[in-house]
Amino acid sequence: MSYLREVEVGASFPPFTTFREYFGHVPNLFRAQTILPRVIEAEAGLASAVLYSRHALSQLSKERMMLALAAAQGNIYCVTARHQLLGLLGVAEDDLGQWIADYRQAGLSAADTALLDFALKLATEGPAVSRDDVQRAVAEGWNDETILESVLIAAWSNFRRTLAAGLGPAPEFEPVSIPAARLTRSPDLPRRDDATRRSGPYLRAPKCTPADSPAFALLREEFGFVPNLFRAQTLRPDTIEAESRAFRDLLFTGDVLARIRKEFILLAVSAANRNTYCVAVHTEILATLGVPAADADQIAMDHRQARLTVADRALLDFAVKLAAEPSTFGAGDIEGLRGQGFSEEQILEAVVMTAFATFLNTVQMGLGAEPDFAPRQLFQPAASKRVHLLAEEARPTEGNPLTDPDAEAVTRVQSGDVDAFEDLVNRHSRRVYRTLVGILGNPEEACDAVQETFLKAFRHLGDFQGRSRFSTWLVSIAHDTGIELLRSRKPVQSLDDERFESEEGFRPQQVRAWTDNPEQLYSKAETQALVEASVMKLPAKYRVVLVLRDMEHLSIEETAAALGLGIPALKARLLRGRLMVREALAPHFGRSVKGGAA
Amino acid sequence: MAEMGNYLDGDVAAELRSHIETHLAHCRTCQVIYDSSRKTLQIVTESGSFDLPEAAARPIAESVMVRIRGQRIESRKAQ
Repeated sequence: MSYLREVEVGASFPPFTTFREYFGHVPNLFRAQTILPRVIEAEAGLASAVLYSRHALSQLSKERMMLALAAAQGNIYCVTARHQLLGLLGVAEDDLGQWIADYRQAGLSAADTALLDFALKLATEGPAVSRDDVQRAVAEGWNDETILESVLIAAWSNFRRTLAAGLGPAPEFEPVSIPAARLTRSPDLPRRDDATRRSGPYLRAPKCTPADSPAFALLREEFGFVPNLFRAQTLRPDTIEAESRAFRDLLFTGDVLARIRKEFILLAVSAANRNTYCVAVHTEILATLGVPAADADQIAMDHRQARLTVADRALLDFAVKLAAEPSTFGAGDIEGLRGQGFSEEQILEAVVMTAFATFLNTVQMGLGAEPDFAPRQLFQPAASKRVHLLAEEARPTEGNPLTDPDAEAVTRVQSGDVDAFEDLVNRHSRRVYRTLVGILGNPEEACDAVQETFLKAFRHLGDFQGRSRFSTWLVSIAHDTGIELLRSRKPVQSLDDERFESEEGFRPQQVRAWTDNPEQLYSKAETQALVEASVMKLPAKYRVVLVLRDMEHLSIEETAAALGLGIPALKARLLRGRLMVREALAPHFGRSVKGGAA
Repeated sequence: MAEMGNYLDGDVAAELRSHIETHLAHCRTCQVIYDSSRKTLQIVTESGSFDLPEAAARPIAESVMVRIRGQRIESRKAQ
C-alpha cells in the first residue's frame, strides 16, 4: 500500500471521519501514516481549514486548482484523487482531461486562468513570486481573501505532493495518466527589477494580538515571538489555528524525533526551497536551542559540510532530496534511513516535517511576509546579479528603511500595538545585555539595566524616526543607560579615565609567538572565561567598543553611531582594546605553554 | 602599528597593504604581534562571551512588558 508499515486505528478516529465526509473514503495517503496518529490529526486540521471548509472559492474552483497543480508536478497519486472527486461533482471527462493537459486552453474565464497562473507559479517557482504576481490577480478582480485562499491551496498542494512522494501510497482508483507535453510552468510574464520591490506583505492583514488569538499565544509561548508569517494570514484565523495545532502535534513533540532534529529538517528544507525568511527564523530558533549561528548557517548552505552525526546527515540528505527532487525519491531512500537505525515512526515524522516545511515555505513566498530577523547572508544567485530577496550586505548602510528588519514592528508599536514591542525585546535583549555587561562589568547590574533600556526605548519610541536602524538606536540608549549607571556608581571614574594617555604610550609587551591553534588549547567554557576575564581588565571605554564591534559584529558605522564617536576615534579605541586583550591572553596561548594543540 | 586595526579587518588600500606585507616579511616582532592579534580577534569573536543566559531572558522580557503596559508612548503618529 505504501513504503511504511500500517496499522489499524479505531473506526471512529476523528480525522478518518473527516476524510470520509469529504472524499467518500479514507485516502491511502493518510492510511499510510497510521503508525503515528497525531500526524494525521495535524493534517486533517490543516486540510479542513485550507480545503474542505467553504470560504471565498467554491469547492469546484479549489479542486480544479489542486488538479492543475498536481498535474503540473507530475503527481499521479494526487491527480487521480482529484480527478475522481471532480467526476463525482459532475465535471465532464473532457474538461478534466483539458484541465490536466493545459488549463489555459480550457475555455476558462480570464480571471479564473489568472488565479490558476498565480497558484501554479507559487507552487512550482515559489522564490520567483513577487508583489507583481499578486497585483496581476488583483487586476483580474480577485480580492485579498481569494488570493490568500489560493496561496494556501498552492501550499497544500505542495504539502500533499511531498507527502505522496515520501510515502508512496497506491492510488485508490485507476491511475490517471498525465500527458507528457503538458504545460509545466506558468507563462513568461515580464519580470520587474527586484530592486524596486516594495516591502511589506502582499495582502491585507488585520492586526491581531496574542490576547485575541490562542494560536498567537501558543506560537509566542513556544517560539518566543509570533513570526510575521502568521501575522500575514490574519484574514483567516482558522488557518492560523490549524497551523499552530500542527506545530503542536508535529514540532513541539519530542517522543519520536528530537525537537532539534526537526528544526534541522525545517532549516535544511527551507534552504533547499530557497526561502530566506524561513532560514533566518529557524536559525534564530536553533540559537535558542543552543546551536551556534555558524553551525546553522553551514547546515543551510550545505549540510554535508556541517558538523553533524552520521545519522543526522543521513536524515537531512533524506529530507532535502524529498523536498528538492520528489520525482526521483523512492522506496530506496526509505530503506536508507532504516539502515541508519531510524524507526518507522521517525521516518514518517521526517517525511511529514519535510512536507510541512514545504507548506510553510510556500505560504511565506505567496504572502511576502517580512523577515523577523536579518537575513542570513548565504545564497549566491545563479547569475552574479544580487537579488533583493536572496542576500543582503552583512552590514547594510545606515538609514536605509528597506534594510531595517525591525521597521515593521516599530511602526506597529508606534500605532498602538504594545504587544509588538515584546518581539523587539526578544530580538535584541542579548545584544543589549552584552553592551551593558561591557560597560558595567557586572551581570546582575546588566540585567536590571537591560530592563531600563527597553523601558526608555519604549517611552521614547515616538522620537525614533528611522534615520538609523532601530537596533543602533537601541544600543545607543543602552550605552547611555550604562554610562549613567557607571557614573552614579563611582562619581570620580568616567569612561574617559585614562591610564594610557596617548597612542605612542602603549607598547605591546608580550612578543612571544603563539601556538598554532589557540582555540583548541582549552575547552569552550575555559576559553570563554579567559576572554571574559581579559576583556573585563580593559578600561570601560575600550571594552564597550570591543564588545560591540568584535562580539556583536556591528559595523564600524553602526558602532560609531551608537556610541556617538567619530570613526577615527572609534578605530583607535578598538585597536587599543584588541592589543590589550592580546596582552592579557598571551600568557595562556604562548607557544611554550601546554606544548601544542589538543 | 596604527594601521594594524584596519589591516586586521581587511580594510586597507592596496598600496598600504603591500607596504605592510613587505614590512611583516622581515620584521619578526611585528609578525608575532600581527599573528597573535589575529588569533586574539578570532578567539574573541568566536568565544560567545557575555551571552545572556536563557534563564534570564524570559523574566526580563516579561517584566518589561508588565511595566510598559501601564504606560502609553508619546506617539507622533495619529492612532
